[in-house]
Amino acid sequence: MTERAGYLPGLADGDVEWRPLEFGRADETVEIEVPVLTDAQMKALVERVRVAGRRHLKSMPVARIVDIVDRAIARLLDRDDPYRKKAEALLPVITGYDAEMVRLGLTGYLKTFRKPGLNRFLAEDFNNPGILDGFQPMAKGGVARAFGPDVLAHIWAGNVPGLPLWSLISGLLVKAGNIGKVPSAEPLFAGWFARLVAEIEPEIAECFAIVWWKGGDGLRETALLREADVVLAYGGNEALGAIRGRVPVTTRYLPHGHKISFGMISRTTLDARKAVAAAHQAAYDVVRYDQQGCYSPHVFFVERGGKISPRDFCRYVAHELANFEKKYPRRALTIAEAGDVAAWRHQEEAKALAGNDSEVIGGPDGAWSVAYVEGQEDFSPSGLNRTIKIVAVDRLDDVAPRIAPYKAFLQTVGIAAPPEELYRLADRLGQVGVTRISALGQMTAPEAGWHHDGRFNLLDLVTLTEIEHTAEAAADGLAPYVD
Amino acid sequence: MDFQDKVVLVTGSSRGIGAAIAKAFAGEGAAVAVNYLTNAEAAEAVTAECRKLGGEASVFQADVTDNDAITGLVDGVLETFGKIDVLVNNAFRPYVFDPENRRMFWELDWSDYQTQIDGALISTHGLCKAVLPAMKRRAQGSIINIASDLVARPTIPYHDYTTAKAALTGFSRNLAVELGPFGIRVNCVAPGIVYPTDATRGTKEDVKDMLIANTPMRRIAAPKDVTGPVLFLASDWSRFMTGQNLYVDGGLVME
Repeated sequence: MTERAGYLPGLADGDVEWRPLEFGRADETVEIEVPVLTDAQMKALVERVRVAGRRHLKSMPVARIVDIVDRAIARLLDRDDPYRKKAEALLPVITGYDAEMVRLGLTGYLKTFRKPGLNRFLAEDFNNPGILDGFQPMAKGGVARAFGPDVLAHIWAGNVPGLPLWSLISGLLVKAGNIGKVPSAEPLFAGWFARLVAEIEPEIAECFAIVWWKGGDGLRETALLREADVVLAYGGNEALGAIRGRVPVTTRYLPHGHKISFGMISRTTLDARKAVAAAHQAAYDVVRYDQQGCYSPHVFFVERGGKISPRDFCRYVAHELANFEKKYPRRALTIAEAGDVAAWRHQEEAKALAGNDSEVIGGPDGAWSVAYVEGQEDFSPSGLNRTIKIVAVDRLDDVAPRIAPYKAFLQTVGIAAPPEELYRLADRLGQVGVTRISALGQMTAPEAGWHHDGRFNLLDLVTLTEIEHTAEAAADGLAPYVD
Repeated sequence: MDFQDKVVLVTGSSRGIGAAIAKAFAGEGAAVAVNYLTNAEAAEAVTAECRKLGGEASVFQADVTDNDAITGLVDGVLETFGKIDVLVNNAFRPYVFDPENRRMFWELDWSDYQTQIDGALISTHGLCKAVLPAMKRRAQGSIINIASDLVARPTIPYHDYTTAKAALTGFSRNLAVELGPFGIRVNCVAPGIVYPTDATRGTKEDVKDMLIANTPMRRIAAPKDVTGPVLFLASDWSRFMTGQNLYVDGGLVME
């Protein structure tokens, strides 16, 4: 079967060159056709989105945009909806993730964008979301209105299903014209969402477009980047650096580089009742999307002194990973990914052989691995795809200084600790660059309105136009009702 | 069933049910540690038969009611085979099953009970504890304790023996709950009277006939009958079973 990716308002299918991408796992294969636009087509598309966005989106009350997105999300949450059915059928084949994990993951993620969630996004960044619709009084005096960019370019990366929605919906909420470039690893979801929104509200059908080009195709990328007012990009530092080189100096550039996350388990969690539950949650964070997310854990720091030792906690986690392998089997790895896993495991096994109380527990066919280490272990990324390190520490308070050198890469920390400790740890972690603290088991499910990498989803996209109170006062002097 | 590369420790396996279990594992390719208390010759014979059947085997003398001896036993097995996948707690304190001359309740002292409880539980407790580090390290393992169907149906009230086996069953269920999160399973196999073994050689024909008459399958278990359920509980085929008690008595007890 063949499915076409992308969403190209104003362009007939026949006018576009389509390139087939093959995806397959086990006995299923699908062919996805992705659009390859000419320079002129890209230019025309950006222009169309810019004009339509100005005309239709900019004048639309934000409450109505919330309503439209809410209706689109409701359709994607409805398991009988054709789009939802397509997502459940195709995304597991394309990404390789277990079908049940995709289904549950989509529902959990999409719920974030129902109306209450969307209002939370708005409330998080704007004291008064009305500032997106008209001039509103400011605390310092005067009034201001927030304008989204005419053209917001998104360069997405990775294969976690649905991830592009986060920035695409943010773009819609600030009334930007959106052009999103999907990654080859998951080229479908953003296009489906765009088509759905266009179906629900034809008035804004031309205010966004979803395009594709082969990663690293500087020529096509430049065609979009030079037209955009704001560029949001995801990926590795190398790719982000290359994009930075192509973004005009006057264009706002918001890069989101690769991050690593970790967990911390306090000794108070490690009693005969709670330790098993904590191990389950920790393993769940590892299993969700096979650690492909920026919020996925690479290490768990486990405090000594509880009834259950860090070593036994490690074994609980191992058993939980074995269970999850039966429930949500890991996707088939590419040769490169399998190589990374093997290399990581060899490195950890070498440490275990060298003594120093380390050990490695692994599934029969390498489907998961847990390494246990004591002492001053370097904080390093895991081999991904269900490889996790458990590091025993005397005190969780000692962790922050150890991770401080990695400030630029830190993001989420899943913490299981009592309130006082939670705040104390959060304070230290924040100082060394951690931007999100979640419960264990919730690391991969950020709440609505989450400040991605500690930044503002909406506020970073807009510019404020302020009418200072002097202008108001001066205007008053010119009013027809002046006494 | 394939036990290639699996290491199995069977306590009290120089004779009777234990010897049958050891040989059955060896027949499926396992490396078997044959433990015995006094009869070195019999243990060597079992080992030789195990090898003939296609498995590796070694003898390990140890009094499994002695903690130091248990430590030595487990260390020895780990040194020889590198790991322990399966532990079968089969050894028990010698007991004579004689329905006619059994001691009545009022003839028994607490010390008689204590002897049996110690026989059933000190060794099992000690061995489970001793193999645990090695099993935890690999987040897998199967422990099988040999109980008795008399717990469910005391056809003949061997008070001290059966009370000890009842304690063993409770012990096993608790351990199953504790070790489940580590991926280690604990189950029991509860045979009825097994004939012939040293403990039952003297059982009279009319007793056997009485049991046979009440047994749907109309015979008494042979040592070999016990091996199948033990192998099953040791194998991946029972990977989601723990805390269970499999009766091997031809249907005498149904639960």
